[in-house]
Amino acid sequence: MAVSPLVAPATSSPFKRQPSAVPSSNGNGTPRLLQNSNNNNSNNNNRPAPNSNNTLPMTLDPIEQLNEDEKRKYVKGKKLGEGTYANVYLGHARHDPSVLVAIKKIKVQQQYQDGMAPDAVRELKYLRELHHPNIISLVSVFSSKDQNLNLVLEYLPLGDLEMLIRDVDRVRYGAGDIKAWMGMLARAVWFCHDNFVLHRDIKPNNLLIAADGEVKLADFGLARAFADPGRRMTANVITRWYRPPELLFGARHYSGAVDVWSVGMVFAELIIRAPFLAGNTEVEQIALICKQIGTPTEDNWPGVTQLREYTVPTDVVAVWGKEAYMGRFGAVGADGVDLLVKTVALDPKKRITAREMLEHRWWRTDPKPTRKEDLPRKSSGGEEKMAADLKRRPGIVEEEARGAKVARKLDFGQSK
Amino acid sequence: MSRKAPPGARGAGASTSNGTTSSAPALPTISTEDMCPVCKTIRYLNKDMEFLINPECYHSMCSNCVNRLFNDGPNQCPYAGCNRTLRRKGFRSAFFGDLAVEREVDIRRRVAAVFNQAEDDFETLRDYNNYLQMVEDLTFDLVSGGEAQRRTAEATLGRWEAEHKAEIERNRKAGREADEQSRRRLAAERDAARQRRVEALQEAEEEKRERVRNREAELDNLALGDAGAGAGGAQRVQLKRRGQAAANRAVEAAVHTAVAAAADVGRLSIRGLKEKKKAPAPEGPYDPFAGLDFVPGRYKLHTGLGHPGIDKYKDDPAHITGGYSFDEYTARAMFEAFAGLGVFIEDEMEAGIGLSAGEVATMSAGIAAVGDRMELD
Repeated sequence: MAVSPLVAPATSSPFKRQPSAVPSSNGNGTPRLLQNSNNNNSNNNNRPAPNSNNTLPMTLDPIEQLNEDEKRKYVKGKKLGEGTYANVYLGHARHDPSVLVAIKKIKVQQQYQDGMAPDAVRELKYLRELHHPNIISLVSVFSSKDQNLNLVLEYLPLGDLEMLIRDVDRVRYGAGDIKAWMGMLARAVWFCHDNFVLHRDIKPNNLLIAADGEVKLADFGLARAFADPGRRMTANVITRWYRPPELLFGARHYSGAVDVWSVGMVFAELIIRAPFLAGNTEVEQIALICKQIGTPTEDNWPGVTQLREYTVPTDVVAVWGKEAYMGRFGAVGADGVDLLVKTVALDPKKRITAREMLEHRWWRTDPKPTRKEDLPRKSSGGEEKMAADLKRRPGIVEEEARGAKVARKLDFGQSK
Repeated sequence: MSRKAPPGARGAGASTSNGTTSSAPALPTISTEDMCPVCKTIRYLNKDMEFLINPECYHSMCSNCVNRLFNDGPNQCPYAGCNRTLRRKGFRSAFFGDLAVEREVDIRRRVAAVFNQAEDDFETLRDYNNYLQMVEDLTFDLVSGGEAQRRTAEATLGRWEAEHKAEIERNRKAGREADEQSRRRLAAERDAARQRRVEALQEAEEEKRERVRNREAELDNLALGDAGAGAGGAQRVQLKRRGQAAANRAVEAAVHTAVAAAADVGRLSIRGLKEKKKAPAPEGPYDPFAGLDFVPGRYKLHTGLGHPGIDKYKDDPAHITGGYSFDEYTARAMFEAFAGLGVFIEDEMEAGIGLSAGEVATMSAGIAAVGDRMELD
């Protein structure tokens, strides 16, 4: 039972319920996140701060006791990175110092004083459910003093894919390596989709590498479950370079196809070792897509002109065929290019699904995917990179300030 | 005697076996008092004259000529009748004095890089020998075959290289590993030898000091005078025995370290022992799904399932254009309808899988609270 819907709402429910619990707390404005205010409203107000580690007051309610127990299982070590959104620490299990973990401490954010930041909720909710070799595993959760949320995550010391892609001088890899990485990525995405979760922020930064070379999809800060029909989702997700055209055009009802586009962009980036479509603004991103892939028109994507923010450059470029990609992406062979072309289909309905990706014949042709132990890796800088990746706010291209602003605009309230 | 043979005779001999390399009459050799065949400079005039050859045609000329002729890009070989186009980059100094040998070595190197199978790659020794024979025939054709033979051999080589690219790469990697291993073994042996030498040196030092001390003691005894001779002799015997013991100890220690070193080395590889090939992991065909599948066991999913609640959206352009998948929705609805069937919390708690008691408590509290769902966007 990979995912039981019974577990899903239940485990995260203490968090969900929090907004309703706030008014009953002591009124100084700090919400108490991980305590069950249902049962113990009476002793909520006049309790000493429950954070002194050694002498626990006997008045802790069971939930707080649970939290304390969980917290004591891990020892927080040196700080690996600090960001505005979260700090990342190296830690280890108290009973066995050789078990390393990364502790991501999410800061209380200004905008979300009266509850938990939605990205923290998302991350918790979905990581709690998804257990797969190619998805970062959440070991534990606890709250520390000041009601900071701490996610105890798997320790992934070898950095991320972006690091390997960028280091053109020192890291060499071939078609077999790309196939192995893509296989792991496609599996992770397929697993999410088959469990009805959209990741919505797939990019090389979020593909961390474990000590054995396994690629792990991380950062579920923008993830959500597949929406019911009629329920609108925000279009302002996925880091711009990896954002599919339907989101750029403001579609509010989309499917797993958005993640597949991102996978295609990562695929292209792995081959050419530079971001394939790196637009500085959304308009530029659309222009790049039109130029490199083709202009979305009523012919190749029925109904596209009716999308809210449909604007394309005036000179229409016909959708490029497979041959056009062969020159630049030929390193993965004809079958690989075929897969790439299918993942970047403009019309999301014609785009290949994650499952179909895994059924593609490319995986069965030569060269065989490299075994994960033999994949190229970098020995230095991985730890810092992991910290940098984990502390980053979801949906951001790191380099530029504008991207940050765009992601901060995520309007969760309006979309009800 | 043949070393003294005049260059002309030598050249004629070479031309019979190497006539195919170029249309030049002979492959000249470099001798110390040679002169550059192109600019006729002799070593007497230019002390550090250096002869370079290009593996295209193996015509030698001095480095000045190379610079003069090829600095401005590719040019023809200055030898009369040799129409090959040479580049500056291709020139190097010959390792062998005899350029025919140089050429053969080059060719052999090239062939060996492509045909780099090891004996382990073959079923039987006979197969391996046949393979070696084939490679040698091909090499011979390349080195001293006629034009046609050379061409076919070249084609065979190219075809093999294209067909067995991955294999060649793998073998090369393995070869490098083996090199690395033997290098490490040698280093370990050297280390052990050095260790032994140091120990021997220390031993000698110790013995010398002992001798000095012994001598001093004897002198002291003599100074004291009485009956020294007999005692001294006894002592000397004793000392001698002690020295013997020390020597024994040294031998023992040396043997011990040597054994240890040998054991250490043995872990890397034992000389002369056939390296056991690692049993190739039983690697099946690549499974993109890595053994997972989510085919529902309790129901069968059909495409295009409908429900009055969602049918009205099926024609909604916003849903269609954005790529919304109704099949994904129905799959989820079916999954959620059937999820939890066949799950018995008591059993899982007994088995110790899944949730701890605390979590179960949290869960039941949560189930009660599911009513007020906080949905994000």
